[in-house]
Amino acid sequence: MNKHTVITHFILIIGALFMTLPVWVAFMTSTHAPETIMREGLQFWPGGHFLETYNEVLFEPGGVMKKVTALGMMKNSLILGIGFSVGKVIISMFAAYAIVYFRFRMANFLFWIIFMTLLLPLEVRIIPSYKVVADLGLLDTHTGLIVPLIASATGTFFFRQFFRSVPDEILEAARLDGASAWRFFIDILVPLSKTMIAAILIIMFVVGWNQYLWPLIMTTKEENYTLVIGIKQIYQVLNEGGELPQFQKAFALTILATLPPVLVVLVFQKWFVKGLVESEK
Amino acid sequence: MKRVQFEHSPIPYLFVAPQLLIIAIFFLWPAGQAVYQSFLLEDAFGLSSQFVWFRNYSDTIFNEGWLQSAWFTAIFSSLVTLLSLGLALLLAVKANEVIRGASTYKTLLMWAYAIAPPVAGLMGNLMFNPLIGDLYHFMNSFGYDFDHKLHETDAAFVVILISVWKQVSVNFIFFLSGLQGIPKSVTEAATMDCKSPTRRFWTITFPLLAPTTFFLMVTNITYAFFETFGIIDTTTQGAPGGATTTLVYKVFQDGFRGADVGGSSAQSVVLMLIVLILTVIQFRFIERKIHY
Amino acid sequence: MNLFKKLAVGAVTSMSLMASAAYAQVEIQWWHAMGGRLGEVVEEIATKYNASQSEYVVVPTYKGGYEDTMTAGIAAFRAKQQPNIIQIFDAGAATIIYSKGAVVPVADLLEKYAGGFDSTDYIEGVRYFYADSDGKMIGMPFNSSTPLLYYNKDIFAKVGLDGPPATWEELEAMAPKLKEAGYQALAQSHSPWIWAENFMSRHNLPLATANNGYDSTDVKILYNTPELRMHWTKVKEWLDKGWYGYYGRGWGDNQDAFVQQKVAMWLGSSGSFGGLTKSAEFKFGAAYLPYWKSVVDEPTSTFIGGAALFAMAGKSEEENKGVADFLKFLTNPEMQYFWHRETGYVPITNAAYEMAKADGYYDSTPDAEIGILQLTQKSGEWTKGYRLGFYVQIREVMYKNFEDILSGKASVEDAFAAIEKDGNALLARFHDTYK
Repeated sequence: MNKHTVITHFILIIGALFMTLPVWVAFMTSTHAPETIMREGLQFWPGGHFLETYNEVLFEPGGVMKKVTALGMMKNSLILGIGFSVGKVIISMFAAYAIVYFRFRMANFLFWIIFMTLLLPLEVRIIPSYKVVADLGLLDTHTGLIVPLIASATGTFFFRQFFRSVPDEILEAARLDGASAWRFFIDILVPLSKTMIAAILIIMFVVGWNQYLWPLIMTTKEENYTLVIGIKQIYQVLNEGGELPQFQKAFALTILATLPPVLVVLVFQKWFVKGLVESEK
Repeated sequence: MKRVQFEHSPIPYLFVAPQLLIIAIFFLWPAGQAVYQSFLLEDAFGLSSQFVWFRNYSDTIFNEGWLQSAWFTAIFSSLVTLLSLGLALLLAVKANEVIRGASTYKTLLMWAYAIAPPVAGLMGNLMFNPLIGDLYHFMNSFGYDFDHKLHETDAAFVVILISVWKQVSVNFIFFLSGLQGIPKSVTEAATMDCKSPTRRFWTITFPLLAPTTFFLMVTNITYAFFETFGIIDTTTQGAPGGATTTLVYKVFQDGFRGADVGGSSAQSVVLMLIVLILTVIQFRFIERKIHY
Repeated sequence: MNLFKKLAVGAVTSMSLMASAAYAQVEIQWWHAMGGRLGEVVEEIATKYNASQSEYVVVPTYKGGYEDTMTAGIAAFRAKQQPNIIQIFDAGAATIIYSKGAVVPVADLLEKYAGGFDSTDYIEGVRYFYADSDGKMIGMPFNSSTPLLYYNKDIFAKVGLDGPPATWEELEAMAPKLKEAGYQALAQSHSPWIWAENFMSRHNLPLATANNGYDSTDVKILYNTPELRMHWTKVKEWLDKGWYGYYGRGWGDNQDAFVQQKVAMWLGSSGSFGGLTKSAEFKFGAAYLPYWKSVVDEPTSTFIGGAALFAMAGKSEEENKGVADFLKFLTNPEMQYFWHRETGYVPITNAAYEMAKADGYYDSTPDAEIGILQLTQKSGEWTKGYRLGFYVQIREVMYKNFEDILSGKASVEDAFAAIEKDGNALLARFHDTYK
């Protein structure tokens, strides 16, 4: 091994440590008793309280009004993640197909509208979006949580790029065979896009699961909290001066909030990376 | 445009309708409302309103708090973008060179993409907690009184650190992909022409990565402007004294906490304009310099 | 299904519909911001009320912290889905009171449906904050507290101090001794509330023009005064000398410093002693908020913080009757005493206070009385509280500038000039909005 390779590995190891150490420490600390943490600070090695803490956090109602468990919040996060990703894929595939494969009057104009939504994320219009959802009576509902998030055109953009890369010969061949627009879509294009669909599903699941600002303002009942916003509220309770701070529970919650998307990303790593990178082109 | 297309069918309208409907209801309508309300002085309950032209805008833009958050947003975004791009590039280059353990490194370096900004913020907050946080004690051990609750630079440091940490993964993935996309013939020719790896990198590799870098710059700036909301809300909440308030955080504070509809709408519109201008600048000026 | 079954199902359905119509109770929606133990007591109150009569059912819902609850209430009102009762905090009072048509004054409701309303039933320090300038109560104070000084009796004994300081001058005399023993003398948990608003009240100084904002929205704040500047100059000195510690804006962080015995004294709320009893592993006591002898010979009372219950407008007469009935229930001395005992918030009526005294509550828990005693101390022209718009943002301005003073980024003069300028700009905006 020459010097250059040693340095390379060294840099990579430091980088890997930088990226993984915080979560390792968070996980280890979550397995200790709160008194230990108060006395000694963050922990690097496992303690004996893993089952006890995670059991409490998952199954015992916590939160401000004691109405929600981590398990309940995970369920909400799951509904959000899956609902969002599936909804997005379906709606954007349809829209992208229309834009790419049809010559109709408004196609270009529509494309630009869709492009605009990419530039202006939800955060710039949260107050009026909140009002619209409230007026429609959709606060604290799964519909109100998921549907407005689909209003950004990232998915349409991805699929548009992908469809444009599909060779024209395939379409020609299908038309020669007498396929209608609908048939072409269902029988040929969709199966062709399988990898892309999988990748987008995975990416959007992570995006949906990790949503913060929107769920924060439009869920007002604790039972409807997703995990990602629930941990902040619960942390505030843990912190409300007085009782012994339950840091191990706070860390346990962060681990639980991270686990599903990380698992999804790691297990489907290949597709996920492919999807991300394909979309850039 | 595709050469071959379907024509004269109701299908495109049907297919595009759901997306358009959602965009109309949940994007165009609220955006329009934001613009409309920015011209009004309205009481919190919507019971009375007056049209005041650009007063909300002048109240906003000439307000010290807004200027402070605009300034902070600019510095914060630049630092986060530069640092996370730089770190990611370094790691990607190294990961590309290495053969043994390549996929392990890759996995370890990219997984943080999946973690939500507020969760990262909460973890970071706990690690800087004066009672138990090792990082807090570490920073204090240099003889400097580190206190991110009181000192502005310290608070900014914490927020920037966590934001960069989270973003390195995404950039890493793209840079690595970009590097792996460089044809072997090019790298071989470069190695023959140019003995110094550093020179090789700057004259050949880096320009070839330009499209990727450009794309990442746009996404990183958007990330720093908007997605870091989750990090700020779980760590400093914009404190101390508004020093870590980004523009979007201020929109949230004034609209949601302060019940100032006109003011936060005006801020939203101004923020939209800023992002629009930034994007246009990036596309026009920087993209020109990139040779594909 | 065959015909017979269909008829049977139809009959049962219509009978049960009629039955439920007969037993239909009027639902009263109550949105509140009380979490944790406080929320549990809120639920208990609702349960007690529902059990005590059969016409109305009160349904409490926790909507988040004070700001979130107010925001939710505002959005609901705009969507015509507002609750019957909403809990609004001190900083939000101006917003809801000046939005004409948003609420029905509780005094009016109680007069009309619950046999009358006499504001002298209410403790003086509590009476005025949510009333209009004629003294008519718009909101009913619910969870009221006032700033108090808590001190660590164990540390005091160790260092040889007799008792808590009555004045800031006395605190300055004690601080060096505490520092020698390794303790910071003081921490506090809400700089605007304790060291601006109640500072003015304690020294009987006006905090805004237009009768502290009660008379009109055309108002300017009066924080930029020599007395308050002097106080904050001192606070900065104390910070530099190690006599005062600032643990951030979080209420809990500063309270923790007291519980961890890093500081010997802590300025908190009259409601804090319940939590302290559970978490403090040392003997502690409560005392009055100190004042400057150099500013005033005899201090005047402080006023209440916390929140009040407002009856939202646009509801049916049936429901308004229920709201009046529930509010009357809440003001019963028994309920007040219950709430006071369980939460540490002060009882708001004289009758409740008398009941607690007669019950010997203060003999066993003398600290619980200090808050009320302070609220019933000598009142002055400026002890009524304040009514200022956009006050949430004004408090932000205050936090920012106070933090700038403490970190040394701004001088006391500059900081207060900024508070005055930005605060008045916000008030002018509010005035124009709510003309």
